[in-house]
Amino acid sequence: MSDKAEKPKILPRDAFIDEVFLAAKKNPNIYFITIDLGAKALDRFRVELPNQLIHAGISEQNAMDVAAGLAQSGKIVYAYAMAPFVTLRCYEQIKVAIASMFLPVTIIGNGVGYSYNDAGPTHYATEDLSCMRALGGIEILTASDTETVLQTAHLTYTKPALRYVRLDRAFLPDIYPSGDKRFMQDGIVEIESGKDACIIASGIATHIAKDVKKILAEQGHNVAIIDAFRIKPIDGAVLKRVLNPYSKIITLEEHFLSGGMGGAIVEAMADAQILKPVKRIGVRDQYFLENGGRGYIQGLAGVDAKSAAKTAAEFLK
Amino acid sequence: MNLTELKKKCAWLRREAFEMVVRSKKGHYPSSSSCVEMVVALFYGGFMKYNAQNPKDPARDRIFISKGHAGMVLYPILEDLGFVPKGELLKFTKPDGKFRFYPDPTIPGIEAITGSLGHGMGIAAGHCLAAKRDGKNIRSFVIIGDGECYEGSTWETAMFAAHHHLDNYVVVIDRNQCIIMDHTEKCVKLDPMAEKWKAFGFHTIEINGNSIEEVTKALAEATSGKIKGPVAIVANTVKGKGVSYMENRPDWHNKMPNDEQIATARKELEAVAA
Repeated sequence: MSDKAEKPKILPRDAFIDEVFLAAKKNPNIYFITIDLGAKALDRFRVELPNQLIHAGISEQNAMDVAAGLAQSGKIVYAYAMAPFVTLRCYEQIKVAIASMFLPVTIIGNGVGYSYNDAGPTHYATEDLSCMRALGGIEILTASDTETVLQTAHLTYTKPALRYVRLDRAFLPDIYPSGDKRFMQDGIVEIESGKDACIIASGIATHIAKDVKKILAEQGHNVAIIDAFRIKPIDGAVLKRVLNPYSKIITLEEHFLSGGMGGAIVEAMADAQILKPVKRIGVRDQYFLENGGRGYIQGLAGVDAKSAAKTAAEFLK
Repeated sequence: MNLTELKKKCAWLRREAFEMVVRSKKGHYPSSSSCVEMVVALFYGGFMKYNAQNPKDPARDRIFISKGHAGMVLYPILEDLGFVPKGELLKFTKPDGKFRFYPDPTIPGIEAITGSLGHGMGIAAGHCLAAKRDGKNIRSFVIIGDGECYEGSTWETAMFAAHHHLDNYVVVIDRNQCIIMDHTEKCVKLDPMAEKWKAFGFHTIEINGNSIEEVTKALAEATSGKIKGPVAIVANTVKGKGVSYMENRPDWHNKMPNDEQIATARKELEAVAA
């Protein structure tokens, strides 16, 4: 890991791009495609490594096909844009040109969930995970803090593969200490212990889950927090071990329930014969046009700490 | 090869393509047939660098049949030139064969999966951009169907290729006027075709794509090294060329001929070859 990438008060995208930039300086085969999404860190990349930075135009489909051609030419390729655009707008290109040809391209979705709050459904990514999960042979990582971002970036150029990296637009407080190997190794990590129940979450929802834990504690419930960093593939044996102490399981995500993180967990539990009561908490099954900030929209959708705690408390009764 | 030999090769390729379809009851003769002159000229006319013994030779030029349903048009050539052992053609679409219904890069000589329209141009642009930035002399030829011009991704990549002055990038538009349900101009107009490519910044050459003379002349111009950016060859062709009852008939896109029709087609294709 590069020691130059700034920590900790750094936006996820800047942390990621800085890490890739430092690697790209040493490796001319690292190519970074942006689909008209900037970043502070990208300004430096653009100036210092113009040959390795490609602006694809606001053309997601073109970006993915070009990414495939570059990867076939031996390049280590990144395709970067806002999460709703870099996934759904070019979904079939990812399927045909990248996944079907087994090409190692890293797709970076910036601003998952309601990150671009108040911008409305065009900018929300509350179905990106379900869509991307459905693709064959893709690995999906959701960063929940700067350490997960940095290690993910490092992984993408040291072991290139088809990956979808989900970044929040907002700064996320630290969860893991520097050099923590657990999330990369296991994919699913207990970050706060509890007694009878646990909440599994990822990305910003992991931080919401921490608040939920506090609210539930006031009501006499002691729940553990589990960070689901790698949602595809899920190691059934690890899941069994991590969930073993808990008799009830809650999942929390800023994403629709259909095919989302909770769905992935439940599928993996079924496959691993982990038969426990589960309550999935996710975005109410509709789009929201209302404005009022991320917390307000999360509240409407039922995934803010207060709403989630209420749903969880019902389940834990 | 000289023009007479190339013409013979075209007649041979049409017969081979037709027999592949008859044998396997799979494949698209009409779409394959319309671009026969183009692929024959590329492989046998000396316009494209390839290495049959090492199909993934990094120094090779790339060819993409982006209209993937016509990808089979390359298979007889790939067998003929030794990319695969003799006999592979007989195993088209068989589980133990190398040649699959639609092309994919596990097949020697094939660069990409195609079949869904609008991908070949972008993938090829990636190859061309990488080659230029690496200082390598590699060219990509992309054959797209005119129906592919309905795909937005075609024009996304057209802008991209022109912006990057990809002078190692040749797009051939197989303008056979037909899509599955009807003629293009009756469905959603595509004309004026050449003007569109010109407007997008391509050096545009319009030809009769079923004339080997015009095809070789156009390819000579496209590969002359004198053109500063990407090239578009609008090749006006006849879908189903060589089989009279299929020519310019959209409904023959993937229909299988009956015994009588097979006999008629063979007679016509052999007459041209003779």
